[in-house]
Amino acid sequence: MKIVSCIKPVPDPASRLAINETKTWIKDQDLTFVASEADNYAIEEALRLKEKHGGEVVVISMGGEESARVLRSGLAMGADRAIHLRDPKFKGADEFAAADALATAIAKDGGADLVLAGVQSDDLGTGMTGTMIAEFLGSAHATVVVGVEANPESKSLRVRRELEGGINETIELPMPAVLTIQFGINQPRYASLKGIMAAKKKEMKVWSAADLGLSDEAAGKAGAMYEVKEIFVPERKSKVEIIGGSPEDAAAALVEKLKKEAKVL
Amino acid sequence: MIFVIAEHKDNKLKSITSELLVFAQRAGRDFGQPVSAVVLGENTTSLAEELKSKKIDRVVTIDDPQLAEYNPDAYVEALKSLCEKEPPFLVLIGHTTQGMDFAPRLSVALRRPLIAGCVEYEKQGDRLILTRQIFNAKMNMKTAVRGEPPYFATASPGAFPGDEVEAGGSAEIVPFSVSLTAPGRRKLIERVEAPKGKADLSSAPIIVSGGRGLKEKENFSLIFELAEAIGGSVGASRPVVDAEWLPREYQIGSSGQTVSPKLYIAIGISGAIQHLVGMQTSRCIVAINKDVEAPIFKVAHYGIVDDLFKVVPALTRIFKDLRQA
Ligand SMILES: Cc1cc2nc3c(=O)[nH]c(=O)nc-3n(C[C@@H](O)[C@H](O)[C@H](O)COP(=O)(O)OP(=O)(O)OC[C@H]3O[C@@H](n4cnc5c(N)ncnc54)[C@H](O)[C@@H]3O)c2cc1C
Ligand SMILES: Cc1cc2nc3c(=O)[nH]c(=O)nc-3n(C[C@H](O)[C@H](O)[C@H](O)COP(=O)(O)OP(=O)(O)OC[C@H]3O[C@@H](n4cnc5c(N)ncnc54)[C@H](O)[C@@H]3O)c2cc1C
Repeated sequence: MKIVSCIKPVPDPASRLAINETKTWIKDQDLTFVASEADNYAIEEALRLKEKHGGEVVVISMGGEESARVLRSGLAMGADRAIHLRDPKFKGADEFAAADALATAIAKDGGADLVLAGVQSDDLGTGMTGTMIAEFLGSAHATVVVGVEANPESKSLRVRRELEGGINETIELPMPAVLTIQFGINQPRYASLKGIMAAKKKEMKVWSAADLGLSDEAAGKAGAMYEVKEIFVPERKSKVEIIGGSPEDAAAALVEKLKKEAKVL
Repeated sequence: MIFVIAEHKDNKLKSITSELLVFAQRAGRDFGQPVSAVVLGENTTSLAEELKSKKIDRVVTIDDPQLAEYNPDAYVEALKSLCEKEPPFLVLIGHTTQGMDFAPRLSVALRRPLIAGCVEYEKQGDRLILTRQIFNAKMNMKTAVRGEPPYFATASPGAFPGDEVEAGGSAEIVPFSVSLTAPGRRKLIERVEAPKGKADLSSAPIIVSGGRGLKEKENFSLIFELAEAIGGSVGASRPVVDAEWLPREYQIGSSGQTVSPKLYIAIGISGAIQHLVGMQTSRCIVAINKDVEAPIFKVAHYGIVDDLFKVVPALTRIFKDLRQA
């Protein structure tokens, strides 16, 4: 089985985010980027399926140097090779343009039996990209996946999806397919030192928009379906009372308030 | 025309449908657009009758045996055909597991914009501006759709007040017939409810809940100690459960339990929307978090902005002393 796993670089969750001058994105120069959390679960699932059924795992990412970094960590976990979509023209992509580029690259690489993406990213977090890739590729898909069994002989998959209210459903669908992987489906492995060393020798293809045959109107900001007017920190309308002081004083004051004001103790 | 794609289950409309109708009624007035509810399924008459009682212009029914069970292939084919025949201005869909399973495909199939997870909209000139949350609700993003309609948008559950839907319409019911070409590629095998387990938090009066801020499994003992001192139950956010610090039955949120105790103490929990929907109706919410910008403070009544490893032991000591006194 050939499995392609998508990895999106996102600011390290511990970073302080600042809005840029034009108020259309964050200042991303001094940030450390890591793989979006759900993508770690996706790679792990890809590696487990390969361990069971054979084949290869290819990791793919669209972005600048930060994408190269997350691809290397995917290789260090055990992926066989990487595809890096790197071009200033890709900048400012929305989900549509990102999915178009990723799907085009997957097709150019000879397609895949299975494409895995995260259920949603840690930054924009809309959870559209994987499903859009499926439509661009014309393949079947399933979202919010918490379990995967593959049957390479019959080219079919049995997956468990998480619905609202603690309900899970099991469905069957044919390969090729795109799955969006939910947090907690497995325990992602850490890269071993050996893995990190081995990653340096693995192949990393770098493709530009021209390599993909994408027109200037289709890549990045030009290919986006919407434009960002403004990003901003929402006004806090709530009535939260922040209790200050040393930890001991704050704790004592809180208990007083819970007893006397809120009357919940 | 604004289309609202009605979501339903077991022949009942889901609450998101009313929320979408509120969105549509408001946007319809602002943009001078009539509103149609669209219901896909098999034998949808009773649903159509219910929708008809709302103040909207039309109810479009798409009845087909292949739509009896939700499946994205049939939904996309049917809705694509409807949007091509009668190009709408805006199509509203729930940002639910079901809506987000087909909306992105529909948007690509028609090569038209989709803005997902909207919490607000506004009209600037004659442009439609949609707002959604990014970076786990720490920031908002205002977007303007590009090009010609139709535009697609999914609305976050809870963003629009479903109980404000205006009634009193005399909408006509208009059947739309489709001839679905390909059978859906998905086959449903089974649907099961997750086992409840012993941690039934739904009736607990006090819940002390811990999140990823606890850093590692061992530190979760801080949560258990405080819960014991205060006489409450323990809950957790999803990453805690995903990392196997606690079994799934402790998880609070959209894919876990819904709780509304009189006191909910959220410790080292950021307050992602999926967590909030499980606990925001608690009577009194306390948040302990070192990040003053954490969205949990938007729903909390009391907050302590400090290191939980200092605050929680202090709190536990006070409660232990109170018990002995
Ligand atoms: C106007 C605008 C400007 C932007 N500017 C920048 C910018 O300057 N720099 C920047 O880095 N981003 C920028 N972005 C982000 C954009 O390129 C996102 O990658 C895209 O919108 C995907 O949306 P999402 O994160 O909500 O995806 P989701 O649909 O939530 O992501 C789900 C999954 O899709 C896959 N995926 C998504 N994107 C990628 C990717 N790029 N590579 C591999 N896999 C992926 C991952 O598996 C991810 O887990 C901008 C976006 C907009 C709208
Ligand atoms: C389809 C879907 C369903 C989901 N269902 C659920 C669900 O049911 N329940 C749920 O909870 N989540 C759910 N999630 C996940 C959700 O989006 C968030 O990822 C999750 O709630 C975050 O958990 P957290 O707040 O514990 O962790 P984080 O977001 O990592 O937050 C940790 C917090 O701890 C604080 N912190 C760190 N160190 C300290 C310290 N020393 N002292 C004080 N504070 C500290 C940080 O400032 C931060 O705010 C779901 C996601 C998806 C996509």
